[in-house]
Amino acid sequence: MKKIVIVIPLLILIISCRKSLLDQDNPNRLPVASFWKSEDDAQKAVNSIYAMFYQNGGWNRWIYFRLDLTSDEGMSKSPWVELADWTRFQYINYNFWEGNANTFKDIFKAVFRCNQVLKFVPDIPFADEAKKKAVIAQAKFFRAFYYYYAAILYENVPIILDPHLDDPGFLPQQNTLAEVWAQVEKDLTEALPDLPETWDDANVGRPTKGAVNAYLARTYMQQHKWPEAKTALDYFITGAGKGMYELVDFKENFRSTQENNKESVFEIQFSDANKTGEGDGVNANMGTNRCQFFAPRGIGWSDGQARFWLVQEFKKEKTIDDGIDPRLRYSLFYPDLEKDFGDKIYGRSWEWNADEAWFKKYSRDYYRSNEDYFSEVNNRLVRYADILLMYAEVLNELGQTAAAVPYVNQVRTRSKMAPLAVAHPTAILGKDSFRERLKIERALELCGESVRWADLKRWGDLDTQEKVNAVAVRDPDFKNFAIGKHIRLPIPQTEVLNNTNLKQNPGY
Amino acid sequence: MKYRSEKPSRHVLQKTGPLLFFLLFCFATVLNAQKGTAITGNVSDDKGVPLRGVSVSVKGTTTATLTSEQGTYHITAPAGATLVFTSVGYTSEEVRVGDQPKIDVTLRSAATDLNEVVVVGYGTQLKKDLTGAVSVVKAADVNKRQATTVAEALQGLATGIKVRGGGRPGSEAQIQIRGLKNISNSNPLYVIDGLITTANRDFNPEDIESIQILKDASAAAIYGSRAANGVIIITTKKGKSGPMRIDASAKYSVQTMPRYKLAETDEFKRLNYMAYDNANVPRQQLDTMVNTNWQDEAFRQGNIRDLNLSFSGGGNNGSYFVSGGYFGNKGTVISTGFDRYNLRVNTQGTKGIFSIGENLAISNAKTDEMGGNPVIDVIRLLPTIPVYDDTHPGGYGYGDERKARTFGTNPVAIADLINETNENLRLRGNLWSELKPFDFLTYRLNLGYETSRDHYKYFRKLGNWTLNQPYDPAIANENRAESVTKLIENTLTFKKEFAKHDLTVIAGQSFQRDDYAQIWGSKRNVLQDASGHYYDVLDQGNEAQLGGFRERVALISYFGRVEYAFDDRYLINGIVRSDGSSRLGTDLEWEQFPSVSAGWRISKEKFFKADWINDLKVRANYGTLGSSNIGPYEPDAVINTLPTIAIGKDQHTAPTAIQVQLTNPYLVWEKLQQQNYGFDATLLDNRLSFTAEYYIAQTQKVLYRSPLLYSSGHDGLAPFVNAVSLENKGFEFTIAYRNSIHDFNYNAALNVTTVRNKVLELAYGKNELYVGNTVTRLGQPIGMWYVLQTNGLFQSQDEVANYKNAEGKVIQPDAKPGDIRFVDNNGDGQITNDDKAIVGSPWPKLETGLNLGASYKNFEITMDWFGSFGSKVFNGPRSVTDRFDDNSNYRAGIQPWTPENPNTDMPRVLYASTLNARGDTERWLENGNFFRLKLINLSYRLSDAFVKKIGFEHAQVSVSGQNLLTFTPYSGLDPEFSNTSIFEKGYDFGAYPNVRMVTFGLNFGF
Repeated sequence: MKKIVIVIPLLILIISCRKSLLDQDNPNRLPVASFWKSEDDAQKAVNSIYAMFYQNGGWNRWIYFRLDLTSDEGMSKSPWVELADWTRFQYINYNFWEGNANTFKDIFKAVFRCNQVLKFVPDIPFADEAKKKAVIAQAKFFRAFYYYYAAILYENVPIILDPHLDDPGFLPQQNTLAEVWAQVEKDLTEALPDLPETWDDANVGRPTKGAVNAYLARTYMQQHKWPEAKTALDYFITGAGKGMYELVDFKENFRSTQENNKESVFEIQFSDANKTGEGDGVNANMGTNRCQFFAPRGIGWSDGQARFWLVQEFKKEKTIDDGIDPRLRYSLFYPDLEKDFGDKIYGRSWEWNADEAWFKKYSRDYYRSNEDYFSEVNNRLVRYADILLMYAEVLNELGQTAAAVPYVNQVRTRSKMAPLAVAHPTAILGKDSFRERLKIERALELCGESVRWADLKRWGDLDTQEKVNAVAVRDPDFKNFAIGKHIRLPIPQTEVLNNTNLKQNPGY
Repeated sequence: MKYRSEKPSRHVLQKTGPLLFFLLFCFATVLNAQKGTAITGNVSDDKGVPLRGVSVSVKGTTTATLTSEQGTYHITAPAGATLVFTSVGYTSEEVRVGDQPKIDVTLRSAATDLNEVVVVGYGTQLKKDLTGAVSVVKAADVNKRQATTVAEALQGLATGIKVRGGGRPGSEAQIQIRGLKNISNSNPLYVIDGLITTANRDFNPEDIESIQILKDASAAAIYGSRAANGVIIITTKKGKSGPMRIDASAKYSVQTMPRYKLAETDEFKRLNYMAYDNANVPRQQLDTMVNTNWQDEAFRQGNIRDLNLSFSGGGNNGSYFVSGGYFGNKGTVISTGFDRYNLRVNTQGTKGIFSIGENLAISNAKTDEMGGNPVIDVIRLLPTIPVYDDTHPGGYGYGDERKARTFGTNPVAIADLINETNENLRLRGNLWSELKPFDFLTYRLNLGYETSRDHYKYFRKLGNWTLNQPYDPAIANENRAESVTKLIENTLTFKKEFAKHDLTVIAGQSFQRDDYAQIWGSKRNVLQDASGHYYDVLDQGNEAQLGGFRERVALISYFGRVEYAFDDRYLINGIVRSDGSSRLGTDLEWEQFPSVSAGWRISKEKFFKADWINDLKVRANYGTLGSSNIGPYEPDAVINTLPTIAIGKDQHTAPTAIQVQLTNPYLVWEKLQQQNYGFDATLLDNRLSFTAEYYIAQTQKVLYRSPLLYSSGHDGLAPFVNAVSLENKGFEFTIAYRNSIHDFNYNAALNVTTVRNKVLELAYGKNELYVGNTVTRLGQPIGMWYVLQTNGLFQSQDEVANYKNAEGKVIQPDAKPGDIRFVDNNGDGQITNDDKAIVGSPWPKLETGLNLGASYKNFEITMDWFGSFGSKVFNGPRSVTDRFDDNSNYRAGIQPWTPENPNTDMPRVLYASTLNARGDTERWLENGNFFRLKLINLSYRLSDAFVKKIGFEHAQVSVSGQNLLTFTPYSGLDPEFSNTSIFEKGYDFGAYPNVRMVTFGLNFGF
């Protein structure tokens, strides 16, 4: 036993050096404690919010299934039945990752990034205070941006304004749709003064005053706050933004050849520089998968396609020189595309059913015969044509139908369509008839550009059975639509089960 | 019994010093002894090894003593008295005292293993002295099986051990000791020759001398913080004194894959049209001229070649063991395989009080990895799809939008178009030296070193294997990594007997550091020449990506163990280990892990008179173990700077930086507190033995990645948090009988294990946790099946219309006759997620192993059975073949509901509708019971006369079969599947099945 007593001092000797051996610093990653110190840190941090565009739940892939396919413009014939079911109001498993949870999660991942910038950047000293304000304003813009889409899709989501870095188990409270809208308005309003009219060449792609006003207008319009919406849109028509934007060659809104052009109000900068997987890894993919998923069968996965009524709608009216609406050529792949315009589909003649169509916008069939996961074609989230149509809608809702007409005509004229007074004389006679015509104008101009779901909600087309029945004529998927239920998605079930403060959306 | 006349004991002469010590301590005993003749002598076993602790008593008196470490005893007895020599595990001997002053006795080992030396970590104990739960598995049993890894070979050989997996070439089996102790990782700690490591595929099971499994806290506590899931100690072979011995063995195995019974084109066509017609979808234009059997294409007969050669020998002062081996496995799936080369050198030498030795193993292992999951592909591909199709890029057949709408991947295409290999060179060894300044004191220094150099290679040629696949160019991807473990251990062992007191004290210190570093790179558009040959090196191609990282962890430990035995009757062990780990947060690195255990050998008590019981011991223990099996830098919050964005008119790449993952900075050690109660008994002249144990284990503060809310904004795996508590309770029972009648020996052992796990606390204060089709609730086992319940099929439209809730609402208004009737558990008149209910447990209630053996003359036969009962499992492959909403091949002979065939439990088939096909229903759950003949082995030892004639020492031929016979109601390929998700243990996602194997073996020595 004595020997043991002798050993103990020996052990103590060894213990004395143990501390440093157990202090192993991470050689691979920057500790948070060393970050949030410099202007450069702030700039990189705000950049990370843009990287959320490249993740699966958002504009890299799945959100198009919600915004385009669920609306009456799109549909799915995917053999992956669950994926298709989520475009036709057959929501069985609310945790379905691709249809629901991924998008919900990515919205909050983006908000988390915004909240970090908004928490730490105010304390970072900047040489130029205006730059600091612009960084903060970008974060506010994006927080509003993501809550805008959360409001469109889920409505009753928790508003989280702090990153809760020390409390991973934090259970947020649920908020109402009205509260979410109020938060979006607040963030956008605060961002507006600190963002520039335009960015220098190196920073093109960041939100401008135009982008803020566009989303402010969209937010007000969804709430039918028409005067406020008009004020926001006045920026483009009578305000500082007047003359800054114009309509360009229609097809150049959907190709990589003339990105960030004069028509673009806000667009996502996609690039194929990193042909890797999506996510937070080394040089993660900066492209979009949309067209790999939406290209016709045999070319892409074809998990989403366009409703054929769009083709028919395009064909209802000829151009002023008796041609086919040129927008059809760049909007859809449809059976007569080759006959009408001489264009093949990714180098192929039509080999699909006679009543089928696919979305052509953003596709790369103009220079290749296939797609992949790395499309570099920027997504124009807001373009000037949309602004004009929004302005027309707002004026009409404010009772200024006659004043609204020229803005619709501007959009039509670009595509050689006759003025409304000529082509649709009855449409300009009243508020309601104008609104009905505008719905079609928006579809023809903007189909496949992820605005239709918000449009249907705003127009109240999903509020009564009678109106839903009318939508269902164009898109039979709406026969499954339950009033008051399917107007919003179910919150992922695990989120509801794991957060006792959260209630599932009504009807689910 | 033999008398050895007068030959003086060498031991006594050589080491008089310790003997004097001994004499001193025994003095009192000797003095008090009865008057008579002083008798002395040595007791040894039949191999001449001195036996200590043998009780020597004068029959009919209370005079008794014990033999010393050298086997020497001194006793005084009157002439004519009878001396009785008894020792547990040996046949008692009686010797009449004549006038000789010295009586040497040889005790014959009883047919029992109680005197087995058991390695218990930093020391050894005799099996009879164990107070903790330790299983010993002999090399002979392990080597009867053909297994790539040790874990695979252990199933059924010891109680409380659950092994799943293997089968796939180079794959490593999962092993679980006494149920789930923690959620993140249930693998036990492996200690090979004192080196803490893993007995992964690089280790050659042929080198094993013995395996000990430390199952409870008292046994495993010496390994403290890493022992929560049990410890498997492997001792490799050593040379034995004598001339050089050469042993060689060769085994050849044939492996076959179990198969599905799938429809051929005719049957497929009929069913596929039925599914389309029922759904009012125009039929696809099936290519009915084709009838591909995808199982024939993807599966093949595999084989294993296992060759081993060893040289060993030694003298009085040293020994050596050198072995070399080759293990080659051609997989049962095309383009899979595994090759391993092993070399081992174990040597040791002694000079005076100093000994030194080393164990060194070098291995090179290479796996040709499996691409995709052929186990699922063979059912997702339709029989109407041809294997080859020139119209597709790459020339392989797969789904077609008009003819065969499936997204199954062609395994033949993958085998050709993707080459994926994993190779590593591993050096594993330790150098030890011992200093024995006194007979009772040993100092040992152990230096361990292990390194693995890993090389992963992936190459993808141009071409497609599935419908609508996105275009990818030829891609090359490689990574190289190295891991290094360094271990320094100092131990001091004090071992002494004082009269009836037997004391062993061990104290030690250990430091271990693990480093890992990896670099990787990939290129696209890899060069191909006109003949089609690819230059698959990273110099070629463009669009390079590269990366790399490194990690380091350190563990510092201090430990001690006290073993005390009084008169072989009362046994007490105490252990404490203190561990500090760099994985945990600052100031939270250190923790203490104590344990105590006690045993009482009732059979040694005077009052114990039952002669038919040879040995009876009860034992109890309590201890604490830990786990910090988490990544090296878990508590640190870090900034992710890896992705970039495109920005600006030129769309240049700009850097990003943000915190992506939340962390819990205050992580502490996970602790397992365990109580264990058991008894061991041998009876009927050691022919029958029983061991029974009951244990209660509570794991607290389990380090577990408890899911966070999506709204937290956290991405990636959830951070570890200390907030789950689990309880495991169970019985283990072993009964073994062995006997011999003349030349016929036979034995049988049955072990039975029950485990029940229960969740006591969940992370972040939650009450339940949902993963896939399972729910984990407080007070219940982990991962219970949580699905919609079904109640037969609707037979008529009336039945649909009359299926209403209390308010009269029709519950499934869209259903048609032949559709599944779901149970509306909440009575709200519709079927939603809220109607789900717990319908079963994925955990077996009882697992059992039965080992039977017999030998007659030169023949020997053994059989190992394993059974598992009481679990409910999810048949993933059947949820593909029977779903019909998405095209796949169908089970042959399937009888779906039709108006003409209403007496079936298979609902009507329906294309493109989840009505009957949804995956979250009871429909796919099955009884997971099985009872399987894991092994049957027949061997014949060639007659000595014959082998000597051809120059050999001994030779044996054997034939064995593995997994040849299985009794199960489960309709999948293999009821013994494995799933790595703890929450979905019973979910068979199409796991690679255990293959059937027949092995021919030959081993001989000269």
